Amino acid sequence: MNRLLRGEGLRTVRHVLRAYPALLRVGLADMFAYRAELVVWLLTMNMPLVMMALWTAVAKSGPVGRFGQREFVAYYLGMLLVRIITGSWLVWELTMEIRNGTLAPRLLRPIHPLWAHSAMQLAAVPLRAILVSPLVLVLYFTAGERLPLHEPARLAIVVAAIAGAWILLFLIMAIIGTLAAYVESALSIFDVWLGAQAVLSGYLVPLELLPPWVARTARYLPFRYILGFPVETLIGLESTTSALHDLGVQALFIAGSLVVTLALWRAALKRFAAFGG
Amino acid sequence: MIRARKLCKTYRVHRRPPGLLEALRSVVRRRYEEVRALCDVSFDIAPGERVGFLGPNGAGKTTALKILSGLLYPTSGSVTVGDFVPQDRRTEFLHMITLVMGQKQQLLWDLPPAETFAMNRALFDLPRDEADATQKELVDLLEIGPLIGKPTRQLSLGERMKCELVAALLHRPRVLFLDEPTIGLDVSMQARVRDFIRRYNESTGATVLLTSHYMEDVAALCPRVIVIDKGHLVYDGDLRTLARRIRPEKRITMHFSSLPAPGELDRLGNCVARSELQATLAVPAAQVTEAVRAALGRLPISDISVEDPPLEEIMQEFLGGQPANGGVRSA
Amino acid sequence: MRRLRHYARLLAVQMRTSLTLAVQYRFDFFLEGALALFWLAITLIPLLVVYSRRESVAGWSFPEALVVVGWFSVLKSVLDGGVTPSLNFVVEGVRKGTLDFVLLKPADAQFLVSTARFEPWRILDFLGSIAVLVYAFHRLGHAPRAGDLMVGLALFGVALILLYSLWILVVSVSFRVVKVDNLSYLFISIFDAGRWPIDVFKGALRLIFTVVFPLALMTTYPAQALLGKLTSAHALLAGTGGLAFAAIARFVWKRALRAYTSASS
Repeated sequence: MNRLLRGEGLRTVRHVLRAYPALLRVGLADMFAYRAELVVWLLTMNMPLVMMALWTAVAKSGPVGRFGQREFVAYYLGMLLVRIITGSWLVWELTMEIRNGTLAPRLLRPIHPLWAHSAMQLAAVPLRAILVSPLVLVLYFTAGERLPLHEPARLAIVVAAIAGAWILLFLIMAIIGTLAAYVESALSIFDVWLGAQAVLSGYLVPLELLPPWVARTARYLPFRYILGFPVETLIGLESTTSALHDLGVQALFIAGSLVVTLALWRAALKRFAAFGG
Repeated sequence: MIRARKLCKTYRVHRRPPGLLEALRSVVRRRYEEVRALCDVSFDIAPGERVGFLGPNGAGKTTALKILSGLLYPTSGSVTVGDFVPQDRRTEFLHMITLVMGQKQQLLWDLPPAETFAMNRALFDLPRDEADATQKELVDLLEIGPLIGKPTRQLSLGERMKCELVAALLHRPRVLFLDEPTIGLDVSMQARVRDFIRRYNESTGATVLLTSHYMEDVAALCPRVIVIDKGHLVYDGDLRTLARRIRPEKRITMHFSSLPAPGELDRLGNCVARSELQATLAVPAAQVTEAVRAALGRLPISDISVEDPPLEEIMQEFLGGQPANGGVRSA
Repeated sequence: MRRLRHYARLLAVQMRTSLTLAVQYRFDFFLEGALALFWLAITLIPLLVVYSRRESVAGWSFPEALVVVGWFSVLKSVLDGGVTPSLNFVVEGVRKGTLDFVLLKPADAQFLVSTARFEPWRILDFLGSIAVLVYAFHRLGHAPRAGDLMVGLALFGVALILLYSLWILVVSVSFRVVKVDNLSYLFISIFDAGRWPIDVFKGALRLIFTVVFPLALMTTYPAQALLGKLTSAHALLAGTGGLAFAAIARFVWKRALRAYTSASS
């Protein structure tokens, strides 16, 4: 990617494209090897279900804002869906590699380690999609009329938003993971990120139910574009025009994170080389 | 002291072949393979003996040590150590034995070894003055006085192994199980660890069981070896005897003052190594005197020595030439 | 008696080791402690949002629900400070094979692994949680009655036993599945649901949180006891539940240990 910025782009891209299928295959095999971990990890995503139970109990006596019981069910199912599909383990992998020095052999390969990582993580997406398909069915039967099944434009935005969310989270994880070259507690930093994300992305509570100033602020922070935005668009809480606008904001955040990622990675490499891992 | 009868140990290992399709298939149906780590192994070891377990990687040496120390249950057969069945993990038994593993450490990584010693003293419920005396004695013997206050992570591999030995011997065990205690150490450090183990054995009369890759370790330390190959016991007895039987020959190494005449060397015996002014011959033990005399007479010798062939080579030949059914050879 | 003294001394040595470790990495541990307070704050947010919309949820008023959250946080600080560190110790031991050394020590292995590590800085978190409890009762306008407090404390004991038993079960699993980094995440993520009164949940979730992963027994019942609302039948149920889980855990632990020693290499 560094070389790509410096203008030797085409060759690098062609090289990556040639290597990518093989990388994906390895990633997929790896995924199957760790399928037990994947299942355990899926089970750790129980928070939306708990919040769903809570809010449906609350909404029993009447809707909360725009949210009735059905909306809450749809919202948290969507949350679960997007979280599972877009999640990845990059930050843990990266910090581990930097800490125990296994990054070194990766650096010797003629392909940027983040490309390799992206393939490994991307390879998990189809399996994740299969695992969440029951959720999609439940969502269809509980809130089918809210889904963009007959609106190709909105459907396209949802797909793009989910893809964008995946990329954004991947880059954020790359940034925080790379910090492990500087500080011992990169994972603690990620913990703080997760905490902020739980509140400001709409993971715990739909953003519009938070105090208005919090909800407004969240629109200018990256968190919402990882979870809240795709989910809101999916279950029709956002109009197609404003979703299109938000897609642009998401793209801006992706571009910004990409720049930070590359700069930080280069700086970290120098440091990594100086300390010999 | 130690008595093993018809020990067998079989592992059930899940086989995961490479390739995506195979990985997918193994989700549905797991294929298991039986791996026999030990098969019908019997031996007796008297108190105070030093015995070496030899064998190639994966031969079952570590498995044997783990069964003897009670960490593994044998699939069949019986073991007793002292009057105990190791797997019962009786307190008296655990006080009697110790296990040192060259690849794994019990020292607390972030704390000085002294903390691990203090913890082991509490774990084994040792009287303070007694434990202190033992610790001092061991520390002096290994010359690690200045090290035990430094965090373990700052110690070198050899220093760590010495500290491991102190931690393992603090309760004055009467049976020592040592699994590759010298692995990764440099030659002089190997020799010192070896020396220490011998001295501990001689001063306390403890029984020592040792596995090692380094033939030198075993040769220097153990009058008796037990060779295990593919889970079978293939030899039990004296190492030198084994060596003589496998290779009843000597090595004559000669240095020349000038190039010897061509053909002369071959007439003396089988030449196993040759450079311009040096040659090594393999000669049957009975003909050594004759060969040396002939060499001195016919060749421009500047220096000559007679040695046994290297042990590594002997073991290689022994294990390589082993019949598949692995009948027991004994001395 | 001698045995008891032996184990008391062992506990002291283990705690001393943890303390020495904690002092070595005091920055990290301090950070972790501060993070725990941060998470406590995050825990409160959904509660605040919900109660900004409603006076009561599933029969629980705001201060009452706050008692449950406070109680949950107290337990969580114990979990983070006294239980999870040891869990990680075991998992690492299984992976690196150093657990063998623990098994060769002449003391009960369950005791040794359970007391292997503590994180003393978690006391911060504990104090924060107590503050939440105090505030909740301040909002209620009365302190818990002495009798209720006694029952509450007894149930705290039960909750600790439950927590510990569940943890032992998780460790037992770790003997079989070596790659279990995620198991402790799972444990904590499920435990997180304990911050809500059990009455919020319906159907399957309620059954799971009462019987399988008895969060109700750990947080709702003790909170109800403090509030003077717990029926004696429920108190009795909690007590028996705790003992049953402890027995099951010990049994499974023994089995797992045996399986571990006969399967590993």
